Amino acid sequence: MSALDPTEVFRQEASELFETLEGALLDLCQRPDDRELVDSAFRALHTIKGSGAMFGFDKVAAFTHEFETAFELVRKGEIKPTQELIAVALAAKDYIRALIEAPETTDAIIGEAILDDLKQLVAPTAPRSEVATPATAEVAAAGEKRSAGWRLHLEFDSHILCNGSNPLDLLEDLCKLGPCFVVPVTDDVPLLDELEPEYCYLKWDVTLHADCEKSAIDDVFMFVADEMKLTLTPLTQAELPAQQPAPEPVPQTAMQPASADATPAPTVAEPMPEAEPTVEPAAVPKAEPVAKEAAPQPAARAETRRDEVKRSEERGIATVRVQAERLDELMDRVGELVIAQARLSQLAAAGSDLSIKMIAEEIERLAASLRDTTMGARMVPIGSLFGRFRRLVHDLSRDLKKPVEFVTSGEDTELDKTMIECLADPLVHLIRNAIDHGIEDTAARAVAGKTEQGRIELHAVHSGAQVLVTVRDNGGGLNTARIRAKAEEQGLIAPGAALSDHEIHQFLFHPGFSTAQTVSALSGRGVGMDVVKRTIENMRGSIDLSTKPGQGTSVTLRLPLTLAIIEGLLIRVGEGRYIIPLSAVEECVELMAEDQRSRGRNFLNVRGNLVPFLRLREILPAEGEPELHQKTIIISTGETRVGLVADQIIGNHQTVIKSLSKLHSDVTIFSGATILGDGTAALILDVAQLVSLAQAQSEKQQMNEAA
Amino acid sequence: MSAPEVQEAAVNQDGSIQVVMIGVGDEKFALDAGMVREIIDPIPATRVAGAKAFVPCVINVRGNVIPLADLRIRFGMPMTEDTAETRIVVIELAIDNEPVLVGLTADKVYEVTEISRTNVQQTPRVGMHWKPEFIRFITKWREEFVIVPNMERILN
Repeated sequence: MSALDPTEVFRQEASELFETLEGALLDLCQRPDDRELVDSAFRALHTIKGSGAMFGFDKVAAFTHEFETAFELVRKGEIKPTQELIAVALAAKDYIRALIEAPETTDAIIGEAILDDLKQLVAPTAPRSEVATPATAEVAAAGEKRSAGWRLHLEFDSHILCNGSNPLDLLEDLCKLGPCFVVPVTDDVPLLDELEPEYCYLKWDVTLHADCEKSAIDDVFMFVADEMKLTLTPLTQAELPAQQPAPEPVPQTAMQPASADATPAPTVAEPMPEAEPTVEPAAVPKAEPVAKEAAPQPAARAETRRDEVKRSEERGIATVRVQAERLDELMDRVGELVIAQARLSQLAAAGSDLSIKMIAEEIERLAASLRDTTMGARMVPIGSLFGRFRRLVHDLSRDLKKPVEFVTSGEDTELDKTMIECLADPLVHLIRNAIDHGIEDTAARAVAGKTEQGRIELHAVHSGAQVLVTVRDNGGGLNTARIRAKAEEQGLIAPGAALSDHEIHQFLFHPGFSTAQTVSALSGRGVGMDVVKRTIENMRGSIDLSTKPGQGTSVTLRLPLTLAIIEGLLIRVGEGRYIIPLSAVEECVELMAEDQRSRGRNFLNVRGNLVPFLRLREILPAEGEPELHQKTIIISTGETRVGLVADQIIGNHQTVIKSLSKLHSDVTIFSGATILGDGTAALILDVAQLVSLAQAQSEKQQMNEAA
Repeated sequence: MSAPEVQEAAVNQDGSIQVVMIGVGDEKFALDAGMVREIIDPIPATRVAGAKAFVPCVINVRGNVIPLADLRIRFGMPMTEDTAETRIVVIELAIDNEPVLVGLTADKVYEVTEISRTNVQQTPRVGMHWKPEFIRFITKWREEFVIVPNMERILN
């Protein structure tokens, strides 16, 4: 990991933070009163600022700081996050992203304009001076509005030096905030022979005479916050005389309440001789107010700390950042392991050595669970993708002046990460189409008696070994007549040809087909749906389209869970062996003699239902005589069930999918290939293609019968 | 990688080209050595139903499933049984700008050698039943005519 470019790490982290920020901002549109959202937006901003500064993105840090300052008012609840404010905030977010991704080409003028907008939006209700008062300090300084400075007590973890942090640097940073009086506390320094040279034994008492925000101090210690104890007590105006050095021994009582509350270490409570100058003579009478102020302090601190703890917990438990390539590599290795394991199992099954058989079974079990774990590690909840579309919908609905409610569900549905990446573009197309073509404009909706606000649903759900992703709108539905007219006009169908609605809708996926009367910037050029279809099919998925006139359209993408390994059923047809994805297999039945005899009727009777069947021997090259007792594998896609007649069912096979080369791109009935235990290649049957083949065949048969 | 680049890469200073000489049917083909990945003994191949005739099978080469092409079909030669000298030559070429591994069945692999561009013969327009676009050029090697095939064209 050390070889990683730190800036790259920052970019990755930032892009995740941007997602959080954008999500929170968009949620705020809906629920402007949700404090949690404001806080999470603020946290994301703050982290971007901090990490940005650390990795040398100074412009980012500076801009974010300004942005954050303005946003502070929202956080304090003084102004409501209005739509305009959120729009500006989103623009600001985009600008920060641009600053990070292409710092050279991004013009600072945009940033200034955004800040001006932002200030105008927040200004009328809040004078600037209040902005400067940070939220946390506000709590602490409940009694004293203006603090004259801060008294700090710093205790670092003893191993802090091993982590590369230098407390002296931090103290120097602190000095930059204002005149500082720093006193080391040396009580804990052990005798020389017990002293670990790499440990930090010193503590510090600092009196900072500066009218700065608490957050400014927190920022100094931002990166070591987990490794230190920081006690902050504001100095009141009355304490200011402390600036005039008046060394005088301090009564124990004065110091006690101030420091003991947060730092239980008894050593601190007893002021060292060196500590004398820091404590002012006025301390004795002041003991009372100091104690008072100290009391709310831990609470305020606890609040900010809780946020940080929460964040670090999320990070520690939820994610480990791993390069995607490594996961791909891991998947490849597991794939090879599975193939090798299949060979071992085959050898073991052929032999008679019991102990080898046991080991083979053990390895089979381990390989299977390793495969599942690896695939699990590659699974990403689809919600990460959905988040992106909220912005899209927000912007489109504004540009097209069609108010749209965007509802997502099933964000937890997990998909292989490569699938998620491939899905982004098709979904953008579908959502654009839904808003641009699907949802009618406000007037038309009113006429149709619908709510003014359109509704777009994005829904993901597991269904067996598939994931269904649905984009549904409650717009006008597809205009079948117009699609038909257009198809006739383009010469795709003969005028008057008998076609079902479903078949007509398929023309939408035809390259260059568009029924939109006007070409907008968004859609209507006729490129899109064909690309969507191709992308989905490349993922071994399929598209279903259903529409109800006047009620809307829904497009469902059926996708396999993973692209890498599937469970398969190994069958034999003649000499050739083939794989059927197990997810599609419903049951296996023996082909009865009567079914076999009848040549004219390719239907099976499965518990009273008619199921058409295909003889694989007629489709695939097969030498030799068919087996006497042929088996039928009933497969299904969606609603349709089809039987496949094979010579033999060999058994389960963990199938590592290898795609077929470009030279075989014209072969449709196979979706890929795999390697069997004996090292030969076997082809994976494409179930959807076989089903449509069977349907075409049975339709032909019906026509023949009718004729 | 486009075809000319492949050609350029293997041309030496003096205009000679390093090639792998293989025998297919009665003809000798000179494959640019730069595109040859490995030469392996025949292994069981899997027929692909519905595939183009000249790439009828797939084979497993080191965990990759690659197509097995047959030059004999493209050049209209009779099919023969495998012999002890039959080999599979695995070549890599660019199809639609993506590198693709393809196995070629060779009746015999002779040697890695050099052919000279100076001996290039004009591909005759008549008296040849092969499609001219399949042939990059015909040259002379040890008093025999050898074909330098245009693999991208043959396989596309």
